Amino acid sequence: MQRRLHYYCRLKKLPLWVGIIFCYMICVSTAHAQSTTAGKTVSIKGTITNQSGEPLHGVTVSIKGGSGATATQPDGSFQIEAPENSTLVISSVGYLIHDIKVGSMDQPNFLLRLTENKNQLDQVVVVGYGTRKKSDVTGAIVSISEQAIKDIPAANLAQTLQGQGAGIDVQKSGGNSKPGATPSILIRGSRSVQAGNNPLIVVDGIPFNGNINDLNQDDIVSVEVLKDASSTAIYGSRGANGVILVSTKRGKTGRPVVSYNGYAGTVRALGEYPMLNGEEFALFKRWALVNGIYQNGVPKYTGIDDARLAVDGLSSEELEGIRTGRSTNWQELIYKPGMITNHQLGVSGGSDLTQYAISGGYFKETGVYPGQDFERFSVKLSVDQKLGNRFKVGLNTLNTFTTTNGESANPMAAALRSSPLASPYDSTGNIYNEYVPGSASQVWNVLGNLIPGASVEKRKRFGTFTTLYVDVELLPGLKYRFNSGAEIRSDIYGNFYAARTTNNQGAQSTAQNRTNLRTNYTLENILTYDKTIRKHKINFTGLFGFQEQKEQNNEFRNTNVLADYLQYYNPALTATITAGDADFKKWDIISYMARVNYSFDDRLLLTLTGRSDGSSRLAPGNKYHSYPAFAAAWNISKEKFLGNVASISNLKLRASYGTVGNANIDPYQTLGLLSSVVYNYGDVTTTGVYPSTAPNPNLAWEYTSSANIGLDFGLFGNRISGSVEVYKQWTNSLLLPQTLPASSGIPNRILTNVGKTENKGFELQLSTVNLPSKGRGSFSWTTDLNIFLNRGEITQLANNVTKDVANNWFVGSPIGVHYNYERVGVWQNTKEDTAAAAALGLTVNGVGSVIGQIRVADLNGDKKIDPNNDRKIIGSSQPDWEGGMTNRFGFKGFDLTIMIFARVGGTLFSSLQGGGFVNTYQGTYNNIKTDYWTPTNHQNYYPRPNANYTNSPNRDLLGYFKGTYVKVRTMSLGYNLPQSLINKLGAKNIRVYATAEDPFILFSEFRNKYGGLDPEAGGSSERPSVATLNVDTPPNWSFIFGLNISF
Amino acid sequence: MKGIYIILFTVFFAALINTGCNKKLVEEPQSILTPSFFATTQGFQQGLDAAYAGTRLFWGNQTYFTLTVIGTDEFKRGIDGNSNINIYSSGYDAQNGDVLANWRNAYTFINTCNGLIDNADNVKDIPDATKKRMIAEAKFLRANYYFILVQFHGDITLNKIFQSTPSTSAVRDPMSEAYKFIIQDLKDAIAALPAGPKTGGVLPGKVNAAVARHVLAKVYLTRAGSKAKEANDYADAYTTANDLINNRAALGLSLLQDFGKVFEEGNERNSEVLWTSEHTSNLAFNGPNNSGVTNFSADNVLNHMWVGQYEKKEVAVLRSTLYGRPYIRCTPTLWLTETAFAERVNDTRYNKTFQTVWYANSTNANDYPKWKSPLPPGAPAGAVVGQPKFKLGDTAIYMPGVNKTDAEIAASTYLLIPPRKYDATLGPTMFKYFDTKRANLNFPSIRPVIAYRLAETYLIAAEAAFMTGKITEAVTLTNAVRERAAFPTGNAVSVRIQASDLSIDFFLNERTRELCGELVRWLDLVRTGKLIERVKAFNPEAAGNIQPKHILRPIPQAQIDAVVTGEPYPQNAGW
Repeated sequence: MQRRLHYYCRLKKLPLWVGIIFCYMICVSTAHAQSTTAGKTVSIKGTITNQSGEPLHGVTVSIKGGSGATATQPDGSFQIEAPENSTLVISSVGYLIHDIKVGSMDQPNFLLRLTENKNQLDQVVVVGYGTRKKSDVTGAIVSISEQAIKDIPAANLAQTLQGQGAGIDVQKSGGNSKPGATPSILIRGSRSVQAGNNPLIVVDGIPFNGNINDLNQDDIVSVEVLKDASSTAIYGSRGANGVILVSTKRGKTGRPVVSYNGYAGTVRALGEYPMLNGEEFALFKRWALVNGIYQNGVPKYTGIDDARLAVDGLSSEELEGIRTGRSTNWQELIYKPGMITNHQLGVSGGSDLTQYAISGGYFKETGVYPGQDFERFSVKLSVDQKLGNRFKVGLNTLNTFTTTNGESANPMAAALRSSPLASPYDSTGNIYNEYVPGSASQVWNVLGNLIPGASVEKRKRFGTFTTLYVDVELLPGLKYRFNSGAEIRSDIYGNFYAARTTNNQGAQSTAQNRTNLRTNYTLENILTYDKTIRKHKINFTGLFGFQEQKEQNNEFRNTNVLADYLQYYNPALTATITAGDADFKKWDIISYMARVNYSFDDRLLLTLTGRSDGSSRLAPGNKYHSYPAFAAAWNISKEKFLGNVASISNLKLRASYGTVGNANIDPYQTLGLLSSVVYNYGDVTTTGVYPSTAPNPNLAWEYTSSANIGLDFGLFGNRISGSVEVYKQWTNSLLLPQTLPASSGIPNRILTNVGKTENKGFELQLSTVNLPSKGRGSFSWTTDLNIFLNRGEITQLANNVTKDVANNWFVGSPIGVHYNYERVGVWQNTKEDTAAAAALGLTVNGVGSVIGQIRVADLNGDKKIDPNNDRKIIGSSQPDWEGGMTNRFGFKGFDLTIMIFARVGGTLFSSLQGGGFVNTYQGTYNNIKTDYWTPTNHQNYYPRPNANYTNSPNRDLLGYFKGTYVKVRTMSLGYNLPQSLINKLGAKNIRVYATAEDPFILFSEFRNKYGGLDPEAGGSSERPSVATLNVDTPPNWSFIFGLNISF
Repeated sequence: MKGIYIILFTVFFAALINTGCNKKLVEEPQSILTPSFFATTQGFQQGLDAAYAGTRLFWGNQTYFTLTVIGTDEFKRGIDGNSNINIYSSGYDAQNGDVLANWRNAYTFINTCNGLIDNADNVKDIPDATKKRMIAEAKFLRANYYFILVQFHGDITLNKIFQSTPSTSAVRDPMSEAYKFIIQDLKDAIAALPAGPKTGGVLPGKVNAAVARHVLAKVYLTRAGSKAKEANDYADAYTTANDLINNRAALGLSLLQDFGKVFEEGNERNSEVLWTSEHTSNLAFNGPNNSGVTNFSADNVLNHMWVGQYEKKEVAVLRSTLYGRPYIRCTPTLWLTETAFAERVNDTRYNKTFQTVWYANSTNANDYPKWKSPLPPGAPAGAVVGQPKFKLGDTAIYMPGVNKTDAEIAASTYLLIPPRKYDATLGPTMFKYFDTKRANLNFPSIRPVIAYRLAETYLIAAEAAFMTGKITEAVTLTNAVRERAAFPTGNAVSVRIQASDLSIDFFLNERTRELCGELVRWLDLVRTGKLIERVKAFNPEAAGNIQPKHILRPIPQAQIDAVVTGEPYPQNAGW
């Protein structure tokens, strides 16, 4: 199925968005106040803060058309004498200029919250290996401000970024909503199938290899996402999937500022999975027996009313359940509200020579299933010190200790399948810690897991990420920087499951124990040179860098722990060590880079980048690859012919082209592999090895070339600002794992450099100030909006085949499609259908009959259903478009922020309906509630219950759903206490707020019609492009109260 | 000038770092083994051990069980078994997971054997005699794996050398080529292997010339029934098997006096056994211990396959390690229990093959069925309304093997199940593989699986003799097996057969009685060309579905999908 692109046509399908956009565009007022002068002067004393109420230092306050001016103190305070009825102009880098009418009275308690300027030209943007003024940027970069990060009190940065920028696609990995879970991040779609699609994260200039949970987002001041090749080429070997540059807080010169931010709240399940109740399940079981039990070739039962069905297939416990009308809701028994809390205390300040920032944070979230929680302690210190005129040194250290409990605790297969007719308790009221009667002796009572100590899973992770730099000014304009970073992480994992839990179902207890130590260091030598000759500005950056990572894992698995309380702590005190495993991985990258930025008269800008990387992970002879990139930009608004158009405050056209590489694969793939297998000759035991992977002596870089055209604009004094991007990417020499024919005897897939993919897309990022703040009493409203779409496709596969079914790759389709039969309903018990099924060679009589089962199309019409000709691409994980919108309102100290995002189109696969064990229609255990087929209910969607089949044939086809949804990510209402009250308390700022996270999901067919809970399904972090929702503990929403205070 | 020095210093410093760096790009694998390990002494040994471990994927694994036991005249699908492949319904297609797994398992360990055989010359410090024996072991194993493939699939890809570079092409070689290769491997193996399983120094589970002869005879017999047949196949089968039988005393081999002892727990090293696929009570070396397969390590789950839902009969029989995990994959056909095993007095094998009685083991009084009012006519003397019908340790379920009237059933204290009441949940239960010493009720078996035994050698020789007109020899060889089946209570003379009894169907029936459940039936039916006829006649659920194409397993769809270079990989006819 070939999808053609109609970017702009697609946009027509945006009624919701378009309506909203136009609505507020109309509201944007361009009226400006006129200033007048009079003889009298008034005194204005007050404070200027940002939107979250934090004081701003160094804000210029001047009198329009007059001569007086002042700047705010570190606590945001200022005082100025101004003529009556004059206008104050309040300006600061990164904020919109505010004109405030003075009036004729003294104002001792003036308060103004500045509105952020999304597109100010003087604003400094962090780019790779340096910073640039926004007006000088030539690449496609999304900046996410501290404000935007603060708006979303989430567990980790990835969740915070969801919906915040065009081209950034953040999804829960496999729908995993457990505390401590990390979402998958895709920037501009997915291009690689094996070398990963995860963007590179760079923290304070050094590549960060930790988990996103290892960062405390309270320590972050800004995030820039580099999207096009010109921006990312500077990270050459690792930038192909985009780069996320994270800057953490550093101290500022001035009096110490002490701040505290904290919140606490409750976490609730988004809902329950729809299961059959007791009565419904009894009927379901009967149908399964009627349809599926044959004796010597004939149905055992005469029909649903056969008297034998009153007892057959039902355990005595269930019979009692039927008699007493019992209907156990197993989900209700295991869900309980969780909680979420976060505290961050910081001190920052400094002198002209020394600046510092210290902070400590604590975060904890508990899930809706007992035993799942995530906790993080973090400590950060940064110091910058000038040494004389030429030298500057700085240190930044981020340290976290996290504990995750129950990261894979998933009792849902047991909880959902348990017979609702059975009781979880025995006659004495104790937990009946056994197989649940009537559930095919496979479903253990889930309450057994909740007995303290029975089910333990803990991950403790300690790590430091420390960067150190030395700056030397060698000559005027020539600087050398030595930048280094070290990351050391220790990760200790253990689990223990007692015998009588869903994990072991009465067999021996099991324990597992894993330790991991990872060290990573980066050394960079950077030389920069700046020179301005009249209208020509030149900036040169040269780099030599080196990075090495070593990782070591050890693992033990044991059964029959001698005493349950020992848990996983001592493998020696177990009856059997069933397996041990370990690995060691090391990789290195050597990099050379040079970049020249040239600008003429600030109007024409040019960036040339060259980078060469060597990777240890590739085959000898193919280790190095070079990456060129260039970009140009034209500041049209600085041209004379536009100089007079007052409404255009910024207009810049950008174009870039470049190549970036990717070799983010496991080491040693070039070498082949022997795997181990155990055996014995009588009492002589041995470990054998067999070839499982063949060596590939030709493995080389995968690289992506991309072209990007962008337009930045700012209208009406940047009241409306934003950018539009159009891009195309070509990925070559794809690192493709190839499934070899099994007859080769090599069972594992082999990495090879074959194949190509393309991605193209459109992105719009828009910020508007609908109503600017005019002081404390006024109503203000700003909007950030982004809309983006990406179309990926595989354009070439190995040996020029057009499809590789074994690996699910198809030329002309995106990575991550769903390839299967086409479901066309259910085979009905009619003459026509029976004849049609028989004509296809399908079994229509007896126990294997297809009647009442899912019907699939004979696509090629050859009167045969076969996997070669009758499967097709029935959907893809790729959405038609996505977008996010944040509206911020302010009024009299109140602020309201609503952030929503939408994902429209695409297909998701849900294991609840199409996999797992909860929709098998076998009737041996509980099933999700559906309007299933019976000989008299001729509905055409759900098949008949059938005891004959472990899984109803083609049941996987029930798992595909439209992926569209709109999610209200955050609704937050805050209040800044009045200055008078704050002053009495001796504080600079106090804000309280209440936030609902993920409160609503709209327009989701999956949720509204088919019993799903949350359609948000990204792939795994390894394979983010394949969206699957697993049957897992339910997704949740939370409601929190918070406090920000600074002194 | 100071600045210049600083620049020079910086450049020098950067250059210094650089010179040491290219060495950093060399890979340092310290936790993995690569294929070159096979060329070392230790690698050669460990590779051979893996080639042996591969046998667990067949003898003892559910996949091979499914492919060989169910969907035959002997066994039909149990309620907990997978339906399609067992009843040949339209859902059994080229995507069948068992067919793929079996195909992949065989080829993976064929390649392991190839890796050893091809690398042997590179291994320098193993004594020649040892090396020769090890190569012979690898060839025997390779022959077995290929034999499995060729029987299931017909024409197959024949890799004679180690596959060490990735290739996405594959061709199907004629079945006749595969048979030639298998026979040569077995001949080479016979020449270099120790004489028999009882020969000094042969560890349990190690292959030997005796079992190689047995397999060679079987290969000849099988080829004789295939399209690749050659003129002397039956004669060669007879000679090869007969040689082994004649030599048995010298090899320390003999049929056991008591058929019941052959599969006795703990007696897997008896003198009738030619070769076993090994398992151990040392759980770390027994398999993945999840009753399945993980990374080509397989458990012996045969102990679970036949166990019916005895616990659901509400007669105070609880799930126990003795009676097994009640998750039944297959249940006997009525033909098997009532026709093939009709003779149960002089031929003791029915009672030594099937469990037909279960004793009450529940200690909970509520679990015991009680006499209801009014007492059924013919109720035993001690029956009292409202009182339990029986107590702990009494018979709870009994299958008399003959018909009982409904009145007799109602009056019985225990649950009486005559043949007409056998169903997919419970019937006479094959107990050759029961294991009481496994760690837990749900655990896989720790018993070795007997792959080949001498009784089958007799039946191979007898069938080959019959096919070549050596009727007297055929009768004698068959009677050797039948006479011991009478031990100890039967009349050995009365079980003897005459020349007039012999036919291909007779041999199939006799193999049923002797080898029932021993992972050979489906292949026996295909070899004799009787699969479709007998399934139609004796397996009611599958009878309506089976078609001519079913005498070959399909080529796995994944294999066809993965051949993307060169000619497409052909599917078997009809699939």
